[in-house]
Amino acid sequence: MLNIKNLQVGLEEENKQILKGVDLNIGEGEVHAIMGPNGSGKSTTSYVLAGKDGYEITGGTVELNGHNLLDMDPEERAAAGLFLAFQYPVEIPGVGNMTFLRTAVNAQRKARGEKELTAGEFLKTLREKAKSLKIDSDMLKRPVNVGFSGGEKKRNEILQMAMLEPKMCVLDETDSGLDVDAMKLVAEGVNALRDGKRSFLVITHYQRLLDHIKPDVVHIMANGRIIKSGGPELALEVEKNGYADILAEVA
Amino acid sequence: MNSSNAKQETSMSLAKQFKQPHGAKWANDIRLAALNRFNDQGAPNKRDEYWKYTNPQKLTSIPTEPAALFSNEELPMFDGVDRLKIIFVDGVFDKDQSDDLTLEGAVIETLSEATLTDIHWAKDLFGALEKNGQDPVDRPLAALNTAMAEQGLIIHITSKCIKPLAIRYIHNSETSDVLVHNVIKLEKNSEFTLLESGAGAARFNSVLEVDVADNAKFNHIRTQGRDHERKTVTHLFARLAKESIFKSFTMTVNGILTRNDAILEFNGDDAKATVAGATAGDGVSFHHDDTVFITHDAVNCESRQVFKKVLRNGATGVFQGKILVKKDAQKTDGYQISQGLLLDDNSNFLAKPELEIYADDVACSHGSTVGAIDEDALFYLISRGVPRKQAQDMLVLAFLAEAIDEIDNNDLAEDINARLAAWMDRR
Amino acid sequence: MTDMIAKEGVEAETVEAVKSLSGKYKYGFSTDIESEYAPLGLDEDIVKLISKKNDEPEWMLDWRLQAFERWKLMKEPEWAMVDYPKINFQDIYYYSRPKSMSEDKPKSLDDVDPKLLETYAKLGIPLKEQALLAGVEAPKNDRKVAVDAVFDSVSVGTTFQKELKNAGVIFMSISEALKEHPELVKKYIGSVVPQSDNFYATLNSAVFSDGSFVYIPEGVKCPMELSTYFRINAENTGQFERTLIIAEKGSSVSYLEGCTAPKRDVAQLHAAVVELVILEDAEIKYSTVQNWYPGDENGKGGIYNFVTKRADCRGDRAKVMWTQVETGSAVTWKYPSCILRGNASQGEFYSIAIANNMQQADTGTKMIHLGKNTKSRIVSKGISAGKAQNTYRGLVSMHPKAANARNYTQCDSLLIGDKCGAHTVPYIEVKNNTARVEHEATTSKVDDDQLFYCRQRGMDEEEAVALVVNGFCKEVLQALPMEFAMEAQALVAISLEGSVG
Repeated sequence: MLNIKNLQVGLEEENKQILKGVDLNIGEGEVHAIMGPNGSGKSTTSYVLAGKDGYEITGGTVELNGHNLLDMDPEERAAAGLFLAFQYPVEIPGVGNMTFLRTAVNAQRKARGEKELTAGEFLKTLREKAKSLKIDSDMLKRPVNVGFSGGEKKRNEILQMAMLEPKMCVLDETDSGLDVDAMKLVAEGVNALRDGKRSFLVITHYQRLLDHIKPDVVHIMANGRIIKSGGPELALEVEKNGYADILAEVA
Repeated sequence: MNSSNAKQETSMSLAKQFKQPHGAKWANDIRLAALNRFNDQGAPNKRDEYWKYTNPQKLTSIPTEPAALFSNEELPMFDGVDRLKIIFVDGVFDKDQSDDLTLEGAVIETLSEATLTDIHWAKDLFGALEKNGQDPVDRPLAALNTAMAEQGLIIHITSKCIKPLAIRYIHNSETSDVLVHNVIKLEKNSEFTLLESGAGAARFNSVLEVDVADNAKFNHIRTQGRDHERKTVTHLFARLAKESIFKSFTMTVNGILTRNDAILEFNGDDAKATVAGATAGDGVSFHHDDTVFITHDAVNCESRQVFKKVLRNGATGVFQGKILVKKDAQKTDGYQISQGLLLDDNSNFLAKPELEIYADDVACSHGSTVGAIDEDALFYLISRGVPRKQAQDMLVLAFLAEAIDEIDNNDLAEDINARLAAWMDRR
Repeated sequence: MTDMIAKEGVEAETVEAVKSLSGKYKYGFSTDIESEYAPLGLDEDIVKLISKKNDEPEWMLDWRLQAFERWKLMKEPEWAMVDYPKINFQDIYYYSRPKSMSEDKPKSLDDVDPKLLETYAKLGIPLKEQALLAGVEAPKNDRKVAVDAVFDSVSVGTTFQKELKNAGVIFMSISEALKEHPELVKKYIGSVVPQSDNFYATLNSAVFSDGSFVYIPEGVKCPMELSTYFRINAENTGQFERTLIIAEKGSSVSYLEGCTAPKRDVAQLHAAVVELVILEDAEIKYSTVQNWYPGDENGKGGIYNFVTKRADCRGDRAKVMWTQVETGSAVTWKYPSCILRGNASQGEFYSIAIANNMQQADTGTKMIHLGKNTKSRIVSKGISAGKAQNTYRGLVSMHPKAANARNYTQCDSLLIGDKCGAHTVPYIEVKNNTARVEHEATTSKVDDDQLFYCRQRGMDEEEAVALVVNGFCKEVLQALPMEFAMEAQALVAISLEGSVG
């Protein structure tokens, strides 16, 4: 599904190299987790995958199902099946949540040459998925993320993911700022979307989310590179001992 | 056409009221240029856009209307502060009543001395900010001041001045018509506090030019009051460099006509400026006008304009504030609030809060509200046992508090609060 | 299901509209039709000619000449924040009319030159009964809108006149009204916007050629929406229409005004006057979707839109609501105003003004509170893009006798790109201490983070901007009558084309 080879990324404005050669391969239906200390480049990876401005690719390649991702505009990547659940979802005053979703869904369908959903079809699907995430119709009518609590914003991200049906989902610190119950709800929503074909890249600082979203592979990222990869037990190791040991190992 | 001829006539007669000062060549050149500016622009009149709400007639009449002297039992402003005291009587520097002109971190000279010196750093600053501030709106009375003012101070701040300078302008003659011009240059990393008080004259025209260099800090507190017949026009021109901080607060109580112009320009990035005023006006003859222009021509600068006016018995308060954000002045944060509290039927509040914005990554907001005392809040206080009059006073002071909060020095802020409370008492 | 979409999905339609409408100004075509022109320039003879062509009573001609004499002595005002080449008033045609309309006005629409009808059909304006305004599909309950179509200086036809007559409503062109109800016109014309009011109102008083006249008798709620559609076609002609609407005690009417003009290289002048008289307990809602040709990306051509619109709430509890979406014209200068004379009268102003490329807009409103317990509300959204300049200029005045008057003003500016400007110049004059004025203004830009969020979800940049802008304008769009809301949204999206990237 996703092939990242020797990705090197710096900041456009300053003379700073953030990613110094990232290699990552995610197969179809797999769930990978990336953990690492602050400043290791985790969020940068997610932004670069989605195509955010401000970064300069100085080397390496990224392919999504054979498409050269780095050549594509953000909306093209979305239509190709990439989804980023933001760490800090932005507010858009005056734009209803439902409207936003419908616009996005149909924009992607159109780009892929698929038939757009009618209002009725859209509404039916939306209501079902919203219910399971405990998102009521009131929240659907409010402007996107305006006045939403942290938990509501994250659930809204998962709802969007459910409606847009992406192939490759990148979750950027989805559990940050959430209490245990909120986190569980979000994890349930994510797990409901695991169908064996859809892949996930879960970026997280804390291990606890991985108790609920069980990964196939865990990577440790530090200083702009993936320094160690292993099974789910790697995450438990980090939780017990912190990053110091692993960093020492690799040094 | 006829109207502009009339303006020129008035300006020429007005200039003739003052003796043409003479000094070193550089000073003469600057003064002559200013006089030409004044004559070209002509004296202001009610038809000028920025005098629309304030008739300048009392500021341009020849001769000036007399003003009775006023004395009161209150302690003069700033008396309790450890300061360097300088006194002007009817616009003339009084050596005897003033302290010696020595202040650690500063070099202080009188304007007349400085302008006689052949070579002086002031030649690059005297009249320069005033000239700059003439665009886009004419300020003829400031030009007149540069041209004809002989009295004032030239101050050079070289490092942190712990002691503030307090200038007191004593009004001693019922018919004095006075021009005072002060120039202050703050060097990099320096700090200086200026306190001003006193009616100054029957008619008082002052210009203060302040150049704040990188990372320097300028604090200004000025009080105008309680003289009932005071006619004043003040101009504060400031140029702010990188990371500088500028704060100016004015308290006005009573007076026939007070017009305070503040013209600030951000030249360097990351600087901050606040201009604030608390006004209490009483009577049909009271007219107070704050006209503030802040130009953002640098990145990431923050400006605040906070003006509160309490008006009663037919008084009139005016606010004209403009934030101009030039094309590359991104990340500007401009905040402006002007509020009028009318305590009775006949009082008036007129405001024109303007925004002129040419950059897109800015946060600019302005708000203006006018109203009377909140009946609900009043009832709440009364129901808690506070007598009505006291409750009203509390609410009025609460209203003025936002402006007074802008003063850094707590003691001074409290003093000002107390004087305003006293005004409330004198119904 | 349809209803649900009408409320929520209205915004979604914008995005579709952007894609479906190809090219920019779609009304830029011109109609190939023979027109007669008055001689170039303006003098007393032209004024007389216009009056004669309309077959006006003597007093009307006198009134015009009076205005003309006054205009000759006046100077063009220059205080607005707009910059345009000086207008040569002698280099304009002040009257033009399709030749087929020269003789007696056609008795029915069937007599009108088919080319003219085609123009309106192309513009989506239904002149035949049973159709609706601007491309909205007929919903279940047949919505009727009576239309008065004005082509250059002349009213081409008015629909539904019979039905309206049954209700007692008079809706016809001013030239017809001068013949059939001269006493009504005489009583009210110039009483809200006097001849002396300003340079362009005076000019209009001298040379206005036509416009709409509406009279709603006492107690009548007008059974359908009334609308006038203005189309400037002839080259180098000025359009000076005059609209007069009178709502008698307890009556109400909703009036819509649409305007377009073909693409021309040379700027054209549009100086209109609209007077609304609202008596006790009456209500007028006046909506405008202005889409005059805005000029090309370099500022060539375009309409100069200088309009004086004023509502006089003469009776107690009289209400007026101005809603406008201004997206066109090269230079816009208009301040729909309310004089709140009657006690407890109310004025509302909702506006979206968009300026893109080289457009300049200096617009706003005046709320003059004279009576007691009067209320006014101003919501103004200005959007600047390209190299445009957009200024909000407003006046809120509380007279000494306006006890308990209330005003709330919200003016917001949105900047797209860093080469445009957004300015606010509000005048607040309060002379009464029981009055309350609240004024807020904010300036913001379309946030990069918002755009990226939308794009990551699959929308392209233009769609994303349209969505965010729509959210910005939502409060005003909701105040527009249904038919206009959709047209307005589409217009907003088109006007912003090319503003991104």
